[in-house]
Amino acid sequence: MTMNRRNFLAAAAASMAAAPAFAQSGATNWPNQPIRMIVPFAPGGASDFTARLIQPGLSEFLKQNVVVENRGGAAGNLGMDAAARAAPDGYTVFLGNVGTLAINPSMFKDLTVKPERDFQPVSLVVTTPGLFIAHPSFPPNNVKEFIDYVKKQPPGAINFASPGSGSLNRLEMENFAREAGLQMTHIPYKGGAGPAVTDVLAGHVPTMFVTISSAIQHVRSGRLKAYGITTFERSPQLPDVPTMSEQGFNKKGSSSWQGLCVPAKTPRPIVEKLHAGIQHALSDATVRKRLEDGGVYPMNSKSSEEFATFMKEETERWGEIIRLTGAQPD
Amino acid sequence: MDQLLNNIGFGLDVALNPANLLYCFVGTLLGTMIGVLPGLGPVATISVLLPLTFSLEPQAAMIMLAGIYYGAQYGGSTTAILINLPGESSSVITALDGYQMARQGRAGAALATAGISSFLAGTVATVIIAVAAPPLAEVALKFGPADYCALMLFGLVTAVVLANGSVLKAIGMILLGLLLGCIGIDVNSSVPRYTFGIPEFGDGIEFAIIAMGIFGIGETLANLSRSSEERGYIRSYDRLMPSLADLKAMLPPALRGTALGSTLGVLPGGGPVLAAFSAYSLEKKISKTPDRFGRGAIEGVAAPEAANNAAAQTSFIPLLTLGFPSSAVMALMIGALMMQGIHPGPELLTKNPALFWGLIASMWVGNLMLIVLNLPLVGMWAKLLTVPYRYLYPAILAVTCIGVYSINKNWFDVMVAGVFGLLGFVFYRLRCEPAPLLLGFILGPMIEENLRRTLLITKGDYSVFVTRPISLTFLLLTVALLVVTFLPSIRTAREKAFQE
Repeated sequence: MTMNRRNFLAAAAASMAAAPAFAQSGATNWPNQPIRMIVPFAPGGASDFTARLIQPGLSEFLKQNVVVENRGGAAGNLGMDAAARAAPDGYTVFLGNVGTLAINPSMFKDLTVKPERDFQPVSLVVTTPGLFIAHPSFPPNNVKEFIDYVKKQPPGAINFASPGSGSLNRLEMENFAREAGLQMTHIPYKGGAGPAVTDVLAGHVPTMFVTISSAIQHVRSGRLKAYGITTFERSPQLPDVPTMSEQGFNKKGSSSWQGLCVPAKTPRPIVEKLHAGIQHALSDATVRKRLEDGGVYPMNSKSSEEFATFMKEETERWGEIIRLTGAQPD
Repeated sequence: MDQLLNNIGFGLDVALNPANLLYCFVGTLLGTMIGVLPGLGPVATISVLLPLTFSLEPQAAMIMLAGIYYGAQYGGSTTAILINLPGESSSVITALDGYQMARQGRAGAALATAGISSFLAGTVATVIIAVAAPPLAEVALKFGPADYCALMLFGLVTAVVLANGSVLKAIGMILLGLLLGCIGIDVNSSVPRYTFGIPEFGDGIEFAIIAMGIFGIGETLANLSRSSEERGYIRSYDRLMPSLADLKAMLPPALRGTALGSTLGVLPGGGPVLAAFSAYSLEKKISKTPDRFGRGAIEGVAAPEAANNAAAQTSFIPLLTLGFPSSAVMALMIGALMMQGIHPGPELLTKNPALFWGLIASMWVGNLMLIVLNLPLVGMWAKLLTVPYRYLYPAILAVTCIGVYSINKNWFDVMVAGVFGLLGFVFYRLRCEPAPLLLGFILGPMIEENLRRTLLITKGDYSVFVTRPISLTFLLLTVALLVVTFLPSIRTAREKAFQE
């Protein structure tokens, strides 16, 4: 099905251009029409935020309009599927994240897209640390107290929230619980981090892991407390919050990252030009500041190979954690 | 009090700055237009405009985006009244009586009622936000999963009250709505339900698609099945403006609708749609002549229109005071603010007072613009009805299809809307009303989600529903409503039995 459609599109495009080898010749004058950037989540979320911020810089560098297209649904799988099926001509690019590109392949057994097979990685774009938060009235004040407190309760008595069954934040908590030998009950939410954070703010669920951008203002105002940050280094925005690895957990560090991919078989010159475009977009001081203010760190890969290796490592690592914790949705 | 007046004065200062005034106008105008176009809703429009706001001042950006949102609530009622095609999800309920009014030649009065009620609600909601935003947001946080579950259950029972005809048919339609609401991937287990392996069904069916299929396409089919005399198409209309008697009749329902809408708007998941449904049910329940509802009752237009506009505005409260979104549109607003480098939270009021008070004041200014914008248009809109139906219906079908397509840019959605159009026609033939189905469809998934969340949190202990005061209150109200609804019929049934 995928191949048929791709062949058909390529054939249609070739006949229209009346050029026998469209894919090769297309690379030299690329881009001569607007490029669509598929974001597999609804507007207003973290992926959309990044896409909109890099869009002007990328358009400027490529001298061509980049149009953000939100194709949300099914944990990002619908948008990823649409991107994977697009013609590999550089006019469709995909802003994937740790969820779609590295977690979903292990999480959803019947996923038709295989990111490693169907995408050509271009560059990492941003990384966002996760924050281990709790309601201020929850007794423990640090990770050590947290572990002692949960161990004193009956198994599964303490609840934790997450933005969804297959989310990074859920896996971060499951992995922490596994490392610390805790048993807790998972309360999944839907519709992004918002509803889950709201219930932790209100104290209906005591704790969760969440991307820093969704909780930073509440930690600053004292409506939430933070036990730790998931990245290897502390965040300049919250310098007092220790890392999880300092406290002996999540040694490798983890983060919610986003990166740009194109359909596999996209010509090499296009991949390189896009890679340079991301570098250009992230070099803008205003863009960097806006991203960093939101707790999101601009982080482009040195080369597309570096990003490919990173994607591979992340896919293996989360696949392993899903196996170890048994965090399958079904 | 002085402080409050100072704040409002400061806000008006910001809102009346010429540039902001212009953005407010652009926002409300755009909102009205997308409100008129079915399918294209505030979420889509705001996300398209997000990149443009990047270069604006934060106040101007928020004023414009907010204008789109509440402007859409105004515009959505226009097509609902004129051609029974709700332009926005929240105007589904306005179509029930508004369209009947139009068919009786009172389109002008219906449109004016919608506009005036919305303005009234907008004004009151602005004052509510200015006076009571922080405490109201705290109330919203008090609502836990158990309380939502009880609230939604109460809403579901009111759906029975919505029905004009047979209670049995209404219950059937609610159940059908609940079943349709089950479609999609289950949140807790990620098991796909009733998706038939179609990925587009993974997140369930979009409310707007069902509503536009049943109302837009279904109604057109129903109209075409009638002869043109039967259709009774309006060739003339009476006066454009409502009479003094109309004004008197609309005021109390509009005020009740405002109160209900302002309350539900603050709650996450509540929002304009639920507010409109509840306000309509309330009016019908307390009316001395409930038979008039669904046949062109002016209260049936005034109350839901006031409620949806009030709710659209008060849904800003959790965002502005605590920084949490109560709906998809509010999540977009947070996105817009973050792109400006502003992180909404409790400190927004102290750190960005110009944004906070300017936005609030602009809401009132925007509502004033909307009424000035919309009332003169009433005449033009009403004229649309004199267009012969053979020209009108292809346009309605085309606009519906484009609208449905614009939601996800997916032709599959148009097919789904077509299926619901056929279903709508069948409902029409069977004399089953679609409103209870839609309410079941909205509330079913919310009830399930919150019920399962509650039971996960309590480890399966149901007693939380009666030990939490908010939940207990709604459950008692639900029981009371059921008793009031069914008691008279039980009594008559028994009397009949005794006579035999």
